[in-house]
Amino acid sequence: MIDNDSFSDSLTFPSTTDQVAKADEFLETWLRKIGVPEDTIANLAIAVTELVNNAIKHGNKLKKNKMVTVSITYASGNIEITVADEGEGFNPENIPDPLAEENLLKEIGRGIFIVNSLIDDVKFQFPPRGGTKVTIKKNIG
Amino acid sequence: MKLTSREDNGIVILEPKGKIMGGPDATVLHDQLHEFIDQNKKKVVIDLAKVEWMNSTGLGILISGLTTLRNNGGELKLARVTEKIESLLTITKLITVFDSYDSVEEALKSFA
Repeated sequence: MIDNDSFSDSLTFPSTTDQVAKADEFLETWLRKIGVPEDTIANLAIAVTELVNNAIKHGNKLKKNKMVTVSITYASGNIEITVADEGEGFNPENIPDPLAEENLLKEIGRGIFIVNSLIDDVKFQFPPRGGTKVTIKKNIG
Repeated sequence: MKLTSREDNGIVILEPKGKIMGGPDATVLHDQLHEFIDQNKKKVVIDLAKVEWMNSTGLGILISGLTTLRNNGGELKLARVTEKIESLLTITKLITVFDSYDSVEEALKSFA
């Protein structure tokens, strides 16, 4: 739905890696419509594609019958984006430090660290019915 | 992401273009890198000037290329790293791992 200065929309897709680009296109299209600066779009797109990759691979474990939903809400300069999966959830505290010497050359394990570095407001939720829901917020004034 | 490649005096120059975000697209760069290694082409420059942005998938591909090349007696250098990617390399401390150059020419000379 779109109004003068507010809207909400969502995209739900199966857990296949070819969906990452579609999620990015969905996100960037909306961000451009509301006039978000390009540098901020890039940061949000990096963060959201990290979360979508995690949802597809680690949350839903590439099971095509499990869905990922990306939701975006905009009101009065505030953007809220949520990525939700149907997996078993995880403990963000248990993620190894990607900056530790022994992890520096590992090919994976930087996604959540990058999200937290680029976005000030990141919230992880693990609903009782299962799954992981990550919400990021950005104010564009 | 689109990927082109060329060679200069036995050094491979890879030129990805677009975004490196994961999905089937990202495997193209990974597979191409490993194809060159299989062909015993072990000096590689990745020209990042036309990469809009990458996420941790892209960083993982660069690390995979670097470690595989080094383990086989080769080397990977980065050229024309954009501000956005340099910022990611900095926050992940990977800036300390990669040799990066302002131009492809400088990266090529560094192999001499």
